[in-house]
Amino acid sequence: MNDKDLLVCRCEEISDEEIREAIRQGARTITGIKRRTRAGMGLCQGRTCQRLVARILAEETGMKPEDIDPGTDRPPVKPVSFGVLGGVAND
Amino acid sequence: MTRSADVVIIGGGAIGTAVTYYLAKRNLKVIMVEKGDIAQGTSSKCDGNVLIHDKLPGYDASLAKLSQDMFPGLTKEIDYDMHWTRKGSLLLIESQQEMEVAKEFCRKQQEQGLPVRIMDQYEVHEDEPKLAKDIIGGLETQCDGSLDPMALAYGLTHGAQKLGAEILTYTSVTGIGLNSDGSVGKVITDKGEILTKNVVNAAGIWAPEIGAMVNLKIPIKPRQGQILVAERTFPVARRKVVEFGYLMAKFEGDNYQRSVPPEMVEYGIAFVFEPTHANNFLIGSSRRFVGMDITCHNGVLKALAQRAVRFFPVMKDINVIRSYAGLRPYTPDHMPIVSDSEVPGFYVAAGHEGDGIGLSLITGKLMTQIICGEQTEITIDPLRLSRFADENVSA
Ligand SMILES: Cc1cc2nc3c(=O)[nH]c(=O)nc-3n(C[C@H](O)[C@H](O)[C@H](O)COP(=O)(O)OP(=O)(O)OC[C@H]3O[C@@H](n4cnc5c(N)ncnc54)[C@H](O)[C@@H]3O)c2cc1C
Repeated sequence: MNDKDLLVCRCEEISDEEIREAIRQGARTITGIKRRTRAGMGLCQGRTCQRLVARILAEETGMKPEDIDPGTDRPPVKPVSFGVLGGVAND
Repeated sequence: MTRSADVVIIGGGAIGTAVTYYLAKRNLKVIMVEKGDIAQGTSSKCDGNVLIHDKLPGYDASLAKLSQDMFPGLTKEIDYDMHWTRKGSLLLIESQQEMEVAKEFCRKQQEQGLPVRIMDQYEVHEDEPKLAKDIIGGLETQCDGSLDPMALAYGLTHGAQKLGAEILTYTSVTGIGLNSDGSVGKVITDKGEILTKNVVNAAGIWAPEIGAMVNLKIPIKPRQGQILVAERTFPVARRKVVEFGYLMAKFEGDNYQRSVPPEMVEYGIAFVFEPTHANNFLIGSSRRFVGMDITCHNGVLKALAQRAVRFFPVMKDINVIRSYAGLRPYTPDHMPIVSDSEVPGFYVAAGHEGDGIGLSLITGKLMTQIICGEQTEITIDPLRLSRFADENVSA
């Protein structure tokens, strides 16, 4: 297996090459990469892969790591069931 | 650097990219200007439904059907996977009173030749076995489909680029220069000027700002909607499922009251289930006027979850992994603006509220026909900006 097939986002099974292709298509932020590839959209919501994605973005574009927008965190912070969220868990 | 173009399109959402694509197909020199990334506005904070079922019988439904029927061809024409599927949709009927309204709605749509039908209690539960047992029927629209809305915008951009369109991202339009006769002369951006006689305002909820650059009032207001994203799971339902009350929430029907808890009315909540190509699902919908705010309101999230469990009790134990909010470009009569204006060369394609993904393709085509001075595929009278002329708008 070479670098290209390396999985960056394990939840959604997105490879290093797919991340680079999204950048070639014009993505310049972590969110832009996420929207094009689904990297970071899975169960862990990018907690594992976000730093790796940022590193590839810096590598491909020459952006400084500190200039990379970390993207937006959205509630819930941890997965919560529809029942608990809706207050109908014990019906 | 000063560029020049036949037409400049402002905004790279579903609408701007569709207009750009159809204009580029005419061998015109087009430049699309987007202040950020493609689809960074409402077109990445929405669902991807391409629907007839929530359109009022008549013009509204005809326009939606014309657009919907363009998707199968487009997704073949452009070499980009937009995850288009056409499995139909189902509206859930909760009460006898809703059944009466639904039957009338169905009859009128059938008269228009649309493939819709009523399902009885037995049939609806056969169709979706995980439904709450008390649902008494459904309204099926066989032709409804869905896709990934961001992939639609990326795909249209990709297609337009192949046809020679120039795409300027991370470029903001800051002004529009008029000639001495009052017609459009150039578009001014933070990265230089573009000489052009034609400009299309496809800036969604920002369309009023662009309109103000040429002293035009455009009555579009942001109407917020929130979405819950579920974890990947077994199929809860096989296709798009919506509560019939959605129509009431969308059109603010006054002669009909839903029997739901008060917060559902206050937040404009109506259950919408959308399975995605990634084997998870999205839950909506809410409708509130909260200005440009795209943070999620906890009360709304709670109400959405509650409503979801009401229709599909199995969801109780499924996890929500994320939520987001988007701003629908709302107009006072719920119809988009696809129009020329009193400023020669200034066109508007905006205000598609909750239908901009579904109506994107017909909007692109109509705008192209308007600019090329051709007869439009369907009358655009209900879409003209001038219909708001008498209104005291505070845009
Ligand atoms: C929760 C929710 C669910 C929805 N579900 C559906 C659905 O299932 N089906 C459906 O058909 N519709 C749906 N919609 C509606 C749909 O998302 C919108 O109608 C559509 O995205 C509008 O597209 P647009 O291109 O007009 O606007 P946008 O996507 O917002 O694009 C406008 C663009 O203009 C750019 N811009 C603004 N100002 C400037 C400037 N000065 N210079 C350059 N660029 C500028 C912005 O950056 C933006 O990218 C939903 C909406 C929401 C909120």
